[in-house]
This record gives sequence, structure tokens and C-alpha cells, in this order.
Amino acid sequence: MPLTIAVRTDEWNCQSVERGAERTLDEFLQSVERRALRMAELATRNRDEALDLVQDAMFGFVRNYAAKPAADWAPLFYRVLDSRLHDWHRRRQVRGRWLAAWLHDADDAGADEIAQAADTNDPGPLLRLADSQAARALDSALAKLPLRQRQAFLLRVWEGFDVAATAAAMRCSDGSVKTHLSRALTALRRELEDYA
Amino acid sequence: MNEHPQWTNQAKALLEASAHELDASTLSRLNRARQSALAQRRKPAARGFIAAGLVSACALLLAVAVWHGRADTTHARGAATAVAANADDIDPLADDDDFYADMDFYAWVDAAEEDPEDYL
Repeated sequence: MPLTIAVRTDEWNCQSVERGAERTLDEFLQSVERRALRMAELATRNRDEALDLVQDAMFGFVRNYAAKPAADWAPLFYRVLDSRLHDWHRRRQVRGRWLAAWLHDADDAGADEIAQAADTNDPGPLLRLADSQAARALDSALAKLPLRQRQAFLLRVWEGFDVAATAAAMRCSDGSVKTHLSRALTALRRELEDYA
Repeated sequence: MNEHPQWTNQAKALLEASAHELDASTLSRLNRARQSALAQRRKPAARGFIAAGLVSACALLLAVAVWHGRADTTHARGAATAVAANADDIDPLADDDDFYADMDFYAWVDAAEEDPEDYL
């Protein structure tokens, strides 16, 4: 009889731990899903496709990384999302829409590093716009960025990741993150200035 | 100290606001996507049981089929041997004494059928 009780207690403990883990995972996904959707939407410019990509990312994350420590979840989740976004872009290119992407990349490669140095004290172009206009302008400017620059900006500025976590999420070097972010800031600023 | 330009704070606030202004339908789809993703964590055990059950059922079916095949073959072989052994000894009319006793009658019936006018 005591053995039965011990086995049942173990089962309850396992179930309780499992329920706890699932709740933690649920809370984590809930905490990132809206931002993930907006990131995917900025990449695809289509909410339905963005929702599909976020769902895929959630599935991939839960399948491959749920057992990892919770502290590592955020970069890992964005790594999966980043991978889905790349796949989506690749599919788009295969469908014959490679030209626009190529033009973006060409702009990206031709950027002048010195001219891109950001002035951190400048209040910036968004202050000159009303909130609704500013939101539209920002959306439009972000959507025009190449994927890597946009991801670097969103992960560093919005998610608040440090360079290493952003590099892990984007599967690139710290130096690449800095370059992508610098170019993104310059391009966004230029785009928003034009809008204002 | 913020390492990014000041205007990025406003950009961050705008992005945050846009994420919080998602409509109910989108939020519902996000919720369903999340629940589906979490549900797959519970599935592997069930899937394992189903796979194990299927494998066991297939193995059982195979075993029954093989056993049946062997039983049928043995039975058929036994039956064939018995028939072959007895075939020479069998005379289908051996026990029918009445048949031999009435041979003349059957001959008459045959002849009557061939030429009925002679027998009327």
C-alpha cells in the first residue's frame, strides 16, 4: 500500500511539474506573440501570412526548444521566427519576386558607413509627426528595410536584446548585428525625414 | 544611458502600441496558434501508444496469417494424402447391390427412351 501511495505521489508530482512547465511556456509565448506577429507582418505586409509564420515559429520552438532553460527561450524563439521569415523570403524569390529583394540588398550593400553614424542626442523625425502619422511612417519605413536590417533593429531596439542575443537569434556575428543595426538606423531616419 | 538614438524610444513606443492594438480576431487566432503549439507537447506520448498498438496489431495479424497458412497447408496435405491412399480402393457403386440387381430394368428404360414406339 505505501508503495502505491508513493507511486501515485510521484505521478501527481510529474503531472504538476508538467502542468507548471506548460503554463510557463504558455506565458512566455503569450508575452512574445504580439511582437512576433508585428515583426512577421512588417516582413510580409500581410496579416494572414504573418499569423501563419508566427504559428509555424511557435510549433518549431515548442518542438525543438521547450526543454531548454527558460532564460534562453526569447533568443531561441526569435531564431525560429527569423528562420521562418527567411524561408518565406526565399519562397517569394522563387515565385519570381526576387527583383525587389535584390534592389533592397543592393541598396544595403552600397551604404556609406561613416555617413551612417547616428547622433544619439537628436530627438529625431518622429517627434514632428502626430502619433497616427508617426505610426504609419514608421511601419512604412520598417517595411522598406531589408530583412536583416529590420530584424536587427526590432530585436535590439524593440525587444531590447543585447548584441550577443541578437546575433544568436539572427545566426550571425556580433559585428554583423552592429552593421545591420547601424544601416537600419540610418535608413529609417532618412525615410522618416522624407515622410516628415 | 540609452545606447540608441533618442528617436528610437518613440519608435519603440509606437511599435508597442501597435502590438497592443491588435483586433480581437487576430488575438483569437494567436491564442489558437499558441494552444495548438502547446498541445503538440502532449501528443508524443499518445502518438507513441498508438504506434506501439499498431505495431502490435500488425505483428499479431502477421502471426495469425502465418499460423493459418501453415495449418491450411498441413490440413490440405493430410487430406490429399488420405484421398490418394484411398482412391484405388474406392468403387463408387460397390455397396449399391440394388443397382446391380436392377441392371436389366435400367437397360430396358434406356432402350425404351431410344425407341418408345416399340414398347407402347
